[in-house]
Amino acid sequence: MLRAPLGVQTPEDFDADVRLMADAALQFARGEVMPVLDRLDAQEEGLMMSLLKKACDLGFGAVDSPAEFGGLGQPKAVATRVLEMLSPNGSFATTMGVHSGVGQTPIALFGTDEQKRRYIPPLARGDYMGAYALSEPNSGSDALSVSCRATLTPDGANWKLNGTKMWISNAKWAGSFIVFAKVEGERFTAFIVEREHPGVSVSAEEHKMGLKGSSTARLVLDGAEIPRDNTLYEVGEGHRVALNTLNLGRCKLAAMALGQAREAIHQTAKYARERRQFGRSISEFGLIRDKLARMASNVFAAESMLYRTVGCIDDAFAAVDPSKGNVAEQNRRAAEEFAVECSLVKVFATEALGHCVDEAIQVHGGFGFTEEFPVARLYRDARVMRIYEGTNEINRLFAFNRLATKGGLNAALDAEPTTAAGALFRHAAMAATKLDTRTQQVDAGLSDLLALTYAQQSVISRADRMEASRHPRSEFARACADYFSFLAGVAAYSRAAEVCARVGGEPPVTPELHGVGSDDRIAAAVLEGSQYPL
Amino acid sequence: MKVLVPLKRVPDPYSRIRLAPDGAAIDTTAIKFEINPFDEIAVEEAVRMKERDASVEIVVVSIGSAECEEQLRKALAIGADRAIRVDCAETLDSLGVAKVLVRVVERESPNLVLMGKQAIDDDNNQAGQMLAALLDWPQATFASKIEFNDGRATVTRETDTGQETLEFPLPAVITTDLRLNEPRYVALPGIIKARTKPLESLTLADLGAQQECRVAVVSMRQPPPRTAGRRVNSVDELIEALRVEKGLLKS
Repeated sequence: MLRAPLGVQTPEDFDADVRLMADAALQFARGEVMPVLDRLDAQEEGLMMSLLKKACDLGFGAVDSPAEFGGLGQPKAVATRVLEMLSPNGSFATTMGVHSGVGQTPIALFGTDEQKRRYIPPLARGDYMGAYALSEPNSGSDALSVSCRATLTPDGANWKLNGTKMWISNAKWAGSFIVFAKVEGERFTAFIVEREHPGVSVSAEEHKMGLKGSSTARLVLDGAEIPRDNTLYEVGEGHRVALNTLNLGRCKLAAMALGQAREAIHQTAKYARERRQFGRSISEFGLIRDKLARMASNVFAAESMLYRTVGCIDDAFAAVDPSKGNVAEQNRRAAEEFAVECSLVKVFATEALGHCVDEAIQVHGGFGFTEEFPVARLYRDARVMRIYEGTNEINRLFAFNRLATKGGLNAALDAEPTTAAGALFRHAAMAATKLDTRTQQVDAGLSDLLALTYAQQSVISRADRMEASRHPRSEFARACADYFSFLAGVAAYSRAAEVCARVGGEPPVTPELHGVGSDDRIAAAVLEGSQYPL
Repeated sequence: MKVLVPLKRVPDPYSRIRLAPDGAAIDTTAIKFEINPFDEIAVEEAVRMKERDASVEIVVVSIGSAECEEQLRKALAIGADRAIRVDCAETLDSLGVAKVLVRVVERESPNLVLMGKQAIDDDNNQAGQMLAALLDWPQATFASKIEFNDGRATVTRETDTGQETLEFPLPAVITTDLRLNEPRYVALPGIIKARTKPLESLTLADLGAQQECRVAVVSMRQPPPRTAGRRVNSVDELIEALRVEKGLLKS
């Protein structure tokens, strides 16, 4: 737990090629996606599919899929950075994120060579979209309770699938779906279902609060007949496919959140510079500058956590060796190893986004509440990110409980804390475990403390590395690390006090709080270029 | 056909420019650099030529220190076949650049030199013309359309008085204008492929060239901040203001 990766651990570690890839992705988003947002939100016929096709022609659709099956075979850190830069708009981000992530990853990790050959090349080319179908009307957070059933046909050649899958992103345009169902109503299993298989249909679009440009509909399986060879991984092992795909998906989701948060900072800084009140630009006022500093510090923290985590995951996948036996089994272990971090990153990044879009509206004042400015759409689109890919509540409970049950907690508590948040986490976690009065409220509080610890470690180590390498933005990074440490200290103290009160433990000691003065330098850097500067 | 595309590393046109403390250069910390946009148009045009005729070979060249390999790599990713960096730490003036390029041309013997009409950092708009003169080759500047036929080029160029069409034999120097084409997005597979394309580094001595610069930058200053405008109530008032206050529109 809380390891540092061997290779890439911060975005500054990327070489010129990866920076060029990230630039290409950002230019594509700015040039092709951002000018057509109204048309995307109106779901203009064919528009999203043609954008996805163009993106796939440029190689954006399968960055980390295996090269021998038409992907680019790049590390997950590279795919994550590309997706982040493709993501200033939530609808396009979701479409690309699902297509390149949960729509492909299960096949890339768990598929047979034949399945990879059949499905990954057309997905990489963007001939059709990929989708992932786990949730059902009565099976959301309780994901393994699905009622969709799979039964072998009498000749044993095909599966018959019956059930309805809900909240399926990309449903309207998807050609392949990763579907989860229970064989004979018991053994949870993954299947690859094609849109053209008999008995497969897609319902009308949901009317959503945001992400109106993305497709969300139900997948209806009415005696859907699929070849037996389309079983993905092993019968009865579908939970491993589902949960490990979601681990990696959570990092992709964090990248999508960061892309949108960057856009929120850009729009907010631009507006703050233009808007004048009391005879001055509002960007000169302390409260506006503090908002920008908090937005940027949180994004810096989320980004630092994300690339540290993805770097660790890449290390784990780099160790997969076909000569050492079953590749799918090794992939499963690699995808599972950093499950705790994936959940922490998902929660932190989507809440950083939630904070950014909320303050974006606030800085815009009344104009932010109208459709005249782009921030209203950002606000609507961001909301679901705290809900899908595992609600933030589920992820909070999972992160702490997994750490506690997999034995990582003792190690985390034994190590001498290096951060204010870490010390508060240790204090609260010791109080809670000793008294054995843990509830969901307590676990969620401990999970927040764990996330703050991970975040604070990550920002400090990133700022250190940037200083050591004389990065031109190291002053900005240090200011973000300092201000984030201040904010994290305050937040961690409040969470620790709450946890201790709930379990009847000793209240925590107030941490020493530094870094309060660095907010103005962060705001100045953000305002100078009207953007998050890294 | 062999096309030589010289390209220059310049500050991203959208970055905010600050002056260095000595006032004679710009502060390059935390600035992003790009291929000069007019040169990128030249790369794009060359790649389109190659897409029409696979026998076209594209060589890109840049003069500068190791950093400009980033821009050469990008050109390779867009579709150039190989790259040359002429190592030179000092800034050259237009004639200095043209003279180095003469040596590169002698070494490579291209049928065509295709380059931006000017670099967006100093906006000199001279190197292409000087190169053609030194080589005694035909030249067409500000090209908005280029066609080739039987070893001859037909170039439509944009001038202040309208469009002009020139036809001349190759080898030649053509400089590109904004409307020639719209550069493509860089494709990720192209970036990966570029890793294995040759990028050669040469010294000025290798080429038998000199480091020549007759122009010194004495000082730079920020343009004055724009002052607020003023609203006029009628066209007559506007004409009056332009005539009397600004001394324009002399009758």
